[in-house]
Amino acid sequence: MPMEKIVLGAGERLEKRFVILPGESQDILLDVTLAGEGADFSLKGLYLCSGADKVNIDISVHHLVGGCTSRQTVKGLASGEARVSFGGLIVVAQDAQKTEAYQENHNILLSEKADIQTRPQLEIYADDVKCSHGATIGRLNDDELFYMRSRGIPEADARALQMLSFLSPVMDESRREEIEAAIFNML
Amino acid sequence: MDKLLEIHDLHASVGGKEILKGIDLEINPGEVHAVMGPNGAGKSTLSAVLTGRPDYEVTSGSILYKGRDLLAMAPEERSWAGIFLSFQYPVEIPGVTITAFMKAAINARRKADGLPELKAGEFLKLQKEKMAFVKMKSEFAKREVNVGFSGGEKKRNEIFQMAMLEPALSILDETDSGLDVDALKIVADGVNALRRPDTSAIIITHYHKLLEYVQPQVVHVLKEGRIVCTGGREIIEAIEKGGFDQF
Repeated sequence: MPMEKIVLGAGERLEKRFVILPGESQDILLDVTLAGEGADFSLKGLYLCSGADKVNIDISVHHLVGGCTSRQTVKGLASGEARVSFGGLIVVAQDAQKTEAYQENHNILLSEKADIQTRPQLEIYADDVKCSHGATIGRLNDDELFYMRSRGIPEADARALQMLSFLSPVMDESRREEIEAAIFNML
Repeated sequence: MDKLLEIHDLHASVGGKEILKGIDLEINPGEVHAVMGPNGAGKSTLSAVLTGRPDYEVTSGSILYKGRDLLAMAPEERSWAGIFLSFQYPVEIPGVTITAFMKAAINARRKADGLPELKAGEFLKLQKEKMAFVKMKSEFAKREVNVGFSGGEKKRNEIFQMAMLEPALSILDETDSGLDVDALKIVADGVNALRRPDTSAIIITHYHKLLEYVQPQVVHVLKEGRIVCTGGREIIEAIEKGGFDQF
């Protein structure tokens, strides 16, 4: 898939979402430029990868002028022998004062053989900005799992509940049913 | 009378180290037993083994619960059969509200019993009633399980869950630890109000205060993985005066 280039002018807002379900190996290549004051970009992405899926995500956000906002939250699960690569770059130009830019990429590994690489990068040349990024790769928490089972929630349901709670910040409500079904299939 | 719980010569290890070294314990329906002992005696290991916590290995012995082989049952099956553990350290579950959590628990139990799921309205009514019962503010229904709760709120949430699940055998693992007197009183009132002639409880503690409020008929002293003394309430007083060294 070719790189998708987006340029936002003064006061323009864009909310973007993506959902990648098991079996849908995809590349998400996105290059966003905030070129006019007050532009606002937000992204919520979710991936569920299983089998031999390959998902490659590369997102660059360029803050060229001041007073713009960008928020990215991307979360996913990988099972089987799936391979996930996430690259995220935020560049804040010297003149882009009062920029707010946030990027989060969090992952849960569900198998020993799945592979997740995450590389968040921040390049900040302005001095009056609010920026943060965070990336994690973890596993489902065993203490939570036992706590739920001790209350009578069957193991599979408890795992699904954990995954859904992990994904709740990026849940696409219009597609909740198919996402929930996919999660149960990944157990 | 049929026993509710029969533990026979139970040995259990964690990480290859033997913690329980031959426990025998029988509980009749309606009885409250206290298990007291110093830190490291194996009290929490006993509660972990009774509830089927992974990583705790039973190396020999048996546990019968209502005549069934408890050790062959998964943790969720034990819950369906009426066993409830009030955790010493209740677990935080970010992203899962108390309502979602309890609804999943109640409906799983109903499914196991061959009953249809509770309708949303019925569930909320039940939840509201039980929250009021343990004096928990109704706002908690929308909070994530134990996330940001104080020590007292976490313990009260345990007793709320106990009220929802109406266990036949409640295990209170150090439920009194970290509670001030007011919080302890609320927890104890909840436990007492939930007592029925046919329900039993095991109160695990190294502290006598909770046992003033929830009175056990039988008291056991657990030390170095064995029950070294069993008797009545006089043992609580003896421990209070002379500690655990006398046993």
